[in-house]
Amino acid sequence: MKRRASIIGGVAAIAGSFVVFVIPFIFIILMAFKDKPQSALRDFSWPQGFHLWDNLVQVVTTRNWMMITAFINSALITVISVTLLVVLAAMVGFVLARRKTRMNGLIEFLILAGLMIPPAVVPTIWLMQGLKLFGTLHGMILIEVAYNLPFSIILYRAFVATIPRDLDEAAIIDGARPLDVFFRIILPMLWPVTVTNIVVQSVGIFNDFTNPLYYLPGNQNATVQLTLYNFQSQYNTSYNLLFTNILLITVPPLIVFLFFNRQIVAGMTAGAVKG
Amino acid sequence: MAGLEFKALHKTYGSVPVIKGVDLSVDHGEFVVFVGPSGCGKSTLLRMIAGLEDITSGELWIGDKLCNDVEPRDRGIAMVFQSYALYPHMTVYDNVGFGLKLARTDKAERDRKIRDAARILQMEALLDRKPSQLSGGQRQRVAIGRAIVRQPEVFLFDEPLSNLDAALRVDMRMELAKLHQDLGATMIYVTHDQVEAMTLADKIVVLNGGVVQQVGAPIDLYQRPANLFVAGFIGSPKMNFAEVTVQSIDGTMATVTSKDISSVSVAADTSRMSVGDTLTLGVRPHHLTLDASGTLVGGVSLVERLGNETNVSLKLPSGATWLVVLDGDHNLRGSQALQLAVDSSTVVLFDKTGQSLLAPR
Ligand SMILES: Nc1ncnc2c1ncn2[C@@H]1O[C@H](COP(=O)(O)OP(=O)(O)OP(=O)(O)O)[C@@H](O)[C@H]1O
Ligand SMILES: [Mg+2]
Repeated sequence: MKRRASIIGGVAAIAGSFVVFVIPFIFIILMAFKDKPQSALRDFSWPQGFHLWDNLVQVVTTRNWMMITAFINSALITVISVTLLVVLAAMVGFVLARRKTRMNGLIEFLILAGLMIPPAVVPTIWLMQGLKLFGTLHGMILIEVAYNLPFSIILYRAFVATIPRDLDEAAIIDGARPLDVFFRIILPMLWPVTVTNIVVQSVGIFNDFTNPLYYLPGNQNATVQLTLYNFQSQYNTSYNLLFTNILLITVPPLIVFLFFNRQIVAGMTAGAVKG
Repeated sequence: MAGLEFKALHKTYGSVPVIKGVDLSVDHGEFVVFVGPSGCGKSTLLRMIAGLEDITSGELWIGDKLCNDVEPRDRGIAMVFQSYALYPHMTVYDNVGFGLKLARTDKAERDRKIRDAARILQMEALLDRKPSQLSGGQRQRVAIGRAIVRQPEVFLFDEPLSNLDAALRVDMRMELAKLHQDLGATMIYVTHDQVEAMTLADKIVVLNGGVVQQVGAPIDLYQRPANLFVAGFIGSPKMNFAEVTVQSIDGTMATVTSKDISSVSVAADTSRMSVGDTLTLGVRPHHLTLDASGTLVGGVSLVERLGNETNVSLKLPSGATWLVVLDGDHNLRGSQALQLAVDSSTVVLFDKTGQSLLAPR
């Protein structure tokens, strides 16, 4: 009886995720193969003819190769923000978990507040303009770091707390200075969390649409998500190009995920059993 | 060459005093063992020497350097932790060499030192493994290896053997003793284990409540405890105590009696007592022998037969329970009456404040 129930449950779960995740993806792929008239129908039909290559060329070359600029921008923003996030959040998590001071309560409150209170766009823009950071890539990177820092810190702090303090102390006696303790002992041991963090944050930042829209105006500054606007307008939307574009920009996060997938699972089970 | 000198060391956490004024001097090359009940501040004191805890007040001298505010890496010490504290992401080789790497020792010399340490500890075959692939005893070796490559003047051990099983503990204990002989460095060792303390130490420091109770050679502490606490703490099973009254004093001999003991003559510092005083008599379980003309009578309440000796719980007429260790095997029945003699040359008297009244030597 129990076996049967679990099989039914499993099948239902697979069917459910198929409907939610796979069908839309198939729809995107099919659309990317169609030509403009057929794609305008927006139905689940088999493409008439093979138009993927034409679509790709058109998407990439549109508006003076904007797609290429966008990929470079997005890659820069993602890589630099995630690197900063990993290093800064791990450091803050380390210090918060290790050093007990009277300020800890306040700091933790601020971190939680950063997680819960939605950022106010207009004052932020005003501030960024004042600092001459508005509409620049490094400004955008700072925004992404600031918005995502609280989550990363919370992730790291919980994990640092599970690393025995004896390890820090052993390193200190071995002659390690604070930065040695962090970079040679703590950070390597945080690798499981770091992988999780890299995946979650890089997918999030790469796919971020609204923040670049607010804080990074200008064609030169386009990020990949903003290229979606190229093919969408009030009167005339090229659905085949739009979906080809979607396909193109979904691929990098997918690769990141596939690449790190095994390590995420390994990370989640490592250290679970005390050896 | 580094001895240690503590001068009125104090440590308080917030407003809670943990170490309440420790004065101690340790000669170079001595093996000093800190013992005491749980929570008495042994680890805290050791960590103060290591520089992992601040010193609230007092002075800590290592060699001829005042070390209160010296960084741990500059104190010439190495520490072995109870949990081993090996770096899990590094191989044994890197674990042992970590300190040298930080000190920027050049590669060839580093390699030589690591291999030397590995040879001393017979763990050359383990160098490429990660700590998770080692047994407890092997991890302990690596932890010790990590300490000896740094060639410190002072080794600090915080209960290094307490995670090992009994047989391995005996082996490692002997290895530590040998290591101490070979290296000739000062070693400070915290333990709960009486046997470790008695066998390893040149000098035992008994701590209680953050205060040093007595410092001395193991046998001195056993035979001439300074107070009730040390008498009860050193020696296993524990010393038996009874309240006694001084019956007569004759030169350096005091004769005492109690409800349970008809009379015992004890060599003691008689200048600090007078007839009629109430004192505490301490008798070790090993110093009671079966004797038909003995002065102590009691009923057997529990017997543990170990083969080479027999542990007997004895119910005395006053209601107190004493422990007796009899040589050899005795088949005793419950509630059987035993008559025992007290070896009066080994008993100790304590005054009301708990200080021992040993005859001066
Ligand atoms: N960080 C701390 N904050 C407050 N009190 C502490 C702290 N560390 C230790 N103590 C207190 O100091 C006292 C001594 O602790 P310590 O660890 O030195 O004991 P110990 O003798 O090593 O005991 P054990 O034999 O159980 O290891 C204990 O009462 C403990 O509660
Ligand atoms: Mg301790």
